[in-house]
Amino acid sequence: MSAASDQEVLRVENLTKHFPAGHGKMVHAVDGVSFSIQRGKTLGLVGESGCGKSSCARTIIRIYEPTSGRIFLEGEEISHLTPKQMLPHRRKMQMIFQDPYASLNARMTVQDIVAEPLRAHHICASRGEEREMVIDMLARVGLNQDHAGRYAHEFSGGQRQRVGIARALILHPELVICDEPISALDVSIQAQVVNMLRAFQEEQGLTYLFIAHDLSMVRYVSDDVGVMYLGQLVEKCEADEIYSHPLHPYTQGLLSSVPIPDPVAARQKESVGLEGDLPSPIAPPAGCRFHTRCPYATERCKQEVPELKEAGPGHFVACHAVNS
Amino acid sequence: MQAASKWERVASGIGEADRLYSKPRSFAGDVWFRFRHKPTALLGLIIIAVLILFAVVGPFITPYGYDDQNTKFANIPAVLQVYPAPDGHWLYITKALKVVEVDEQGNLVQQLRKGKDDAANKVTVYPYGDGLTVTLDYSQTPAAIQDAEGNRISETKRLWNKTYLLGTDHLGRDILSRLMYGTRISLMVAFIAALVNMVIGIFYGGIAGYLGGRTDSIMMRIVDIISTIPLTLYVILIKVCLDDGLLSIIIALSSVYWVDMARVVRGQVLSLKNQEFVMAAQTIGSSTRTILTRHLIPNAMGPILVTVTMLIPSAIFMEAFMSFIGIGIAPPLASLGTMCNDATDALRTNPYQLFLPAIVICLIMFAFNFVGDGLRDALDPKLKK
Repeated sequence: MSAASDQEVLRVENLTKHFPAGHGKMVHAVDGVSFSIQRGKTLGLVGESGCGKSSCARTIIRIYEPTSGRIFLEGEEISHLTPKQMLPHRRKMQMIFQDPYASLNARMTVQDIVAEPLRAHHICASRGEEREMVIDMLARVGLNQDHAGRYAHEFSGGQRQRVGIARALILHPELVICDEPISALDVSIQAQVVNMLRAFQEEQGLTYLFIAHDLSMVRYVSDDVGVMYLGQLVEKCEADEIYSHPLHPYTQGLLSSVPIPDPVAARQKESVGLEGDLPSPIAPPAGCRFHTRCPYATERCKQEVPELKEAGPGHFVACHAVNS
Repeated sequence: MQAASKWERVASGIGEADRLYSKPRSFAGDVWFRFRHKPTALLGLIIIAVLILFAVVGPFITPYGYDDQNTKFANIPAVLQVYPAPDGHWLYITKALKVVEVDEQGNLVQQLRKGKDDAANKVTVYPYGDGLTVTLDYSQTPAAIQDAEGNRISETKRLWNKTYLLGTDHLGRDILSRLMYGTRISLMVAFIAALVNMVIGIFYGGIAGYLGGRTDSIMMRIVDIISTIPLTLYVILIKVCLDDGLLSIIIALSSVYWVDMARVVRGQVLSLKNQEFVMAAQTIGSSTRTILTRHLIPNAMGPILVTVTMLIPSAIFMEAFMSFIGIGIAPPLASLGTMCNDATDALRTNPYQLFLPAIVICLIMFAFNFVGDGLRDALDPKLKK
């Protein structure tokens, strides 16, 4: 690997985002998350609904102001830039949204939607040039020239998501944050979209932060996987490793909830299913946040917060039972 | 056709499916489609169009200005109950017991000059033409013309007033012409006030909703304070401070009615700004101005339009009301409100002078309310077929 491709595109250190919940209380959406992504790689971020994945993504892309912690994009810190200072960095970092219906403005044509990034960054000198770029981009996501004049509501979910992808990629960003880009699509379309994203990655050396709750899809697209629980990263390692050797009890629980397409194998599998609900992020449990649902919880877990430690080569886990 | 051929495989092509697509219908086209399928809304739109034509083109056609007066022909209604005159013309007796000569077509010729008044018999003799006379008998009500033998003529005829199609007011001014000018002023006031309100409301509400937080709280508390004072009172106070005239009415209306609009826009913006497409625009790096003008306001346009069309009739009513109580348009300028006001003095004898402008006010209000209702339904995405 060359030095350039070895470069870190995104580094997040101790990222924390708290939302005021009224009465002086805080929602601990993201609490001290750290990770980095190398150029051309994909980091999958998984976890239950409400564990802070999307908040994490939105804080990184600076829709939300981080409460504390630092974000580095290609080595430059962007955690506390003003919107004006942020503008040149926005070109390098784009986002694909979950809901293909809500993420496209119903009053704009596809042409206008896809051209919006070009206009925001004053890239095209003329309308003709802009139109050319848009049509070129649409062709690359599998839409044609006729689609450019239409409105978003005239498309199917898969086509809309393609428009969303075209909008994110037209600026040739370095990093693309995919916030559950396929969870609102049906299964046959999911595969198309994911394969398209992979093709773009190979073609342009894109770096992805891929957020999902579908573990099998994350395994397919990711190089590394981070598991989030209640705003914290509890386990992080290579994608295959996490599926073959999940260490954290939460990861094990998540993996056992993945349906197995082979009924014989499914019957043989021992279940470590997760019980109980996610505790409130307003008053997260003390000590290890997972101790309320953990089958192996001890007295120590209720008091001491486990640190993310390397339990094997490149395999980080935050659990007292594993680390001791 | 053979059954087998129905099931033949068709060569696949991407273009095929797209050609089957109907022509893309824009948002506005969609709204118009639903709007014109609602009879009341369409009726309202037609009435508005006719009224605009009436107000804009009418004054160029009518031979009278809004202040042309002829006191000889004051208080003459549109339909005349006439008595035969000796020479084949007709005579109309006004409520003030003046005798007016009318020709066969219904054109007013002249007011007869009084001759001899016989107070004992309660008759008045008018010289008429070459040596002829006409006798008015006011011993009984209603007053009538006597024939040559001195009997009251009972057989009368109705004639349409051709000189003043809708009659004249107490100063002998043509009511139709004044209605045209009055409607013109009412519509002008309403449209300008609505436009100004829309602009202020969109800016104010848009900024409050988009910035949120403390700015929003302060801005909306100001709106709350303004709206706790009854708007009518507020407009009257502003009017009292300013001179009479069209401009000051517009200023008074514009400076008050935007609060509703600001609330509507702020609510819309508040609910829209957390949608993913707005977030997408933020991640793209679009400026706040672009986000407001390209994303938030176009999506909030539905409720804004409905509020504007509902605001127009209330502005019209407010203008009419202010003119009616005498702090609106200065005479002799005509406004529907001042016309109503002028007519109230003679309400019992000449009710038509009040009814005509009142009907026009009603028509305008109905039309705009119908259109507003129709627009609201047409813009409601839940009713989308």
